[in-house]
Amino acid sequence: MKQNRAREITLTAIVAAIYAAITLSMMPIAFGPVQLRLSEGLNHLSAFNKRYILALGLGVFIANFLSPTSLGWVDWVFGTLGTVIMTAVTYWLTRRVTNTIIKILISTIVVSTLGMAILAAEFVLAFNLSVHNAFPSGSNGGLVAQWWAYYVTVVPGELASLIVGAVVIFALSKIVDLAK
Amino acid sequence: MGNIMIGRFVPGKSVVHQLDPRTKIIGTFVFILLMLWANTWSTYLVAAIFVWFTILLTQQPLKMYIDGLKPIFWLLAFTIVLQIFFTGGTPVLLHFGFIKVTLPGVINALFVMFRFVLIILMSTIMTLTTPPTSIANALESLLKPLKSLKVPVAEMALMLSIALRFVPLLMDETQKIMNAQKSRGMSFSTGGPVKRAKAIVPLLIPLFVGALQRALDLANAMEVRGFKDAEHRTKYRILKYKKQDYQAFASLLLFSIIFFSVLYLI
Repeated sequence: MKQNRAREITLTAIVAAIYAAITLSMMPIAFGPVQLRLSEGLNHLSAFNKRYILALGLGVFIANFLSPTSLGWVDWVFGTLGTVIMTAVTYWLTRRVTNTIIKILISTIVVSTLGMAILAAEFVLAFNLSVHNAFPSGSNGGLVAQWWAYYVTVVPGELASLIVGAVVIFALSKIVDLAK
Repeated sequence: MGNIMIGRFVPGKSVVHQLDPRTKIIGTFVFILLMLWANTWSTYLVAAIFVWFTILLTQQPLKMYIDGLKPIFWLLAFTIVLQIFFTGGTPVLLHFGFIKVTLPGVINALFVMFRFVLIILMSTIMTLTTPPTSIANALESLLKPLKSLKVPVAEMALMLSIALRFVPLLMDETQKIMNAQKSRGMSFSTGGPVKRAKAIVPLLIPLFVGALQRALDLANAMEVRGFKDAEHRTKYRILKYKKQDYQAFASLLLFSIIFFSVLYLI
């Protein structure tokens, strides 16, 4: 395996770079709660090889870091962790599946439910996280209601990106062996 | 390569630019932690003065910071509305149907807004004054303790720097492919969402295939030059804390002391 380290490193890095480049090239619609981040379609890659879990995590980190429109530190830390969790779950659920369409379907479901649930939680956390009694009311502004409000606003854009991504990744899987 | 600007880094010679990237990461992190305690108007005032002072030190036009806040305007507005409607409590200021606007709700919303604006300004200070590659180096150095947990820190930092190097290149390539497709009559900016989504497919596939080829070429180039593993690489730039870093840490400590005195004494 030793002689393949360089290949493993560059492939991971390049997929991270693709994610960041697509996010940054199609910028105006990519951030905030109502987002259409086309690069999210790349999440399907994690169904093919575990290398892409790290690649997408790094990609999200770079995109959020370089973009002038991200939420700052919350996106750097929790956006990255959220992506790693949801892509790891996708990888784990699809590791025995051989049919490409089913792989993509599972990843769509995982990302739009678990992934977006984490993202919505990220927003709630970002805006409500505080040491005990940091807010004068002592209450925390209906956390569950807030979570639903964010969740409902992030899902449509994400689903659209995942559908476009599904077509791209499916076509790509015919040309390149993604699992290799 | 085109001269696409990526990231927000603006070269400069200010004190903040010259700080070690690790100092800036730690400083931002400590500031954010402190903000979790902020629950009175005076604490926000102290924090705002600290941020204002740091902004002045960076010698960048204020406009750049305001531009940094604009994109999150809608998210912030949405959040403020959520805070106002869902906080509850008494006294009730306004009442329509099932929606109640209460005083604690309004105060919560204002605090959330101040907190976020300050945190984002602080993050902007860091990204405006630190090149992304230094951040990658600094993260590697700061995350070193994780090595004992078998986390491949050096390898991840190497991936991060390679990826950062490739981002502008791939953005350039995306533009080239777009132009190539446009010259064949493709339009990326007309039609409904379905048509636009379809237009993306012939853009992404050549981008991907080209990028994967580059990755394999780079891997070969690295191996030919004797790359063994990320652990034993030597560095061109070695991070070292200097006098101004100790001064920065001292002012951070001073700020924390003032912050907590204001919080608990006033």
